[in-house]
Amino acid sequence: MLLASAAALPLLLGAAGCRSSDVFTGPDPLAGRPPLGHDVLTLQAVITAEENMIDLYQLAISGDPGTARARTLRSLLAQHQQHLVQLKARLIVPPGASASPSPSSASPSPRASTVSITRLRAAERASAADLVRRLATAPPALAQLLASIAASDATHATALGG
Amino acid sequence: MASTGAVAALQAALAAENAAIFGYGVAGAHLTGSSQAAAEQDWTAHNQARDALAAMISARGAVPAAAQAYYQLPFRVHDAPSAIRLAAYLEDGVTRAYLGLVAVSDQRLRRFGAMAMQDAAQRAASWRGSTQAFPGLTPLVLLTLLAP
Repeated sequence: MLLASAAALPLLLGAAGCRSSDVFTGPDPLAGRPPLGHDVLTLQAVITAEENMIDLYQLAISGDPGTARARTLRSLLAQHQQHLVQLKARLIVPPGASASPSPSSASPSPRASTVSITRLRAAERASAADLVRRLATAPPALAQLLASIAASDATHATALGG
Repeated sequence: MASTGAVAALQAALAAENAAIFGYGVAGAHLTGSSQAAAEQDWTAHNQARDALAAMISARGAVPAAAQAYYQLPFRVHDAPSAIRLAAYLEDGVTRAYLGLVAVSDQRLRRFGAMAMQDAAQRAASWRGSTQAFPGLTPLVLLTLLAP
């Protein structure tokens, strides 16, 4: 049936006054990529923020790696790395799209000596608030993951003396 | 989730709060000094949360589920260390219960659930003396969340 239909196509086009070259004029619906879904964009933004947080912790630890402070920071850093694993595992992007979000350029990269506990605490608080803000439009399962990570970040802020 | 789902999630959170209120009564009896003061403060917070949840359930035309007369404890509580473990256990359970509210369609309830999770996770971390990567989520739940 498919062969018969394909064979009949030129006849039908001819009857309609069309040439075969007229059929696919205009935008090719198969050429472009579909826009990324909102949940993908949310995940990409959260992944970028988590990567920035990890960078911040690594810088803070590199400033004085042998201290008790560094040991505390390492345990919190490990939990952020777990967050990143879970977030990345959920990220599925269409073929051809960039799987990794572009790094944030919102703030310049800090130096180790400038990453204070106060700065980490503020970053944790800001992260928790941002994740809660993103709950409104996230699918239910992603919302639960984001809420859990937000709760973890809130406990980190307290562990850092906040 | 439909409004019936929201009421069910609110009822689940209420049940967890009622269990926590009972549990803190047991834990507090084995604590002294600053630990007992912290338990009393947390007990008060859970009472306030219970009242808020009951009001939210009533506002949706449903009847808040009553607390049970007795709750089975997860282990024997006979001294301060076991009381502290119980407090952390209770807060973990409350955190899990509020996770259900985060999945409902009502955005205000989602936010309410998320903030309640943060409060409970903070209390759990305080009792436990350490933080967790995924408060309210178990490894099994994490795997389930990954399913498409």
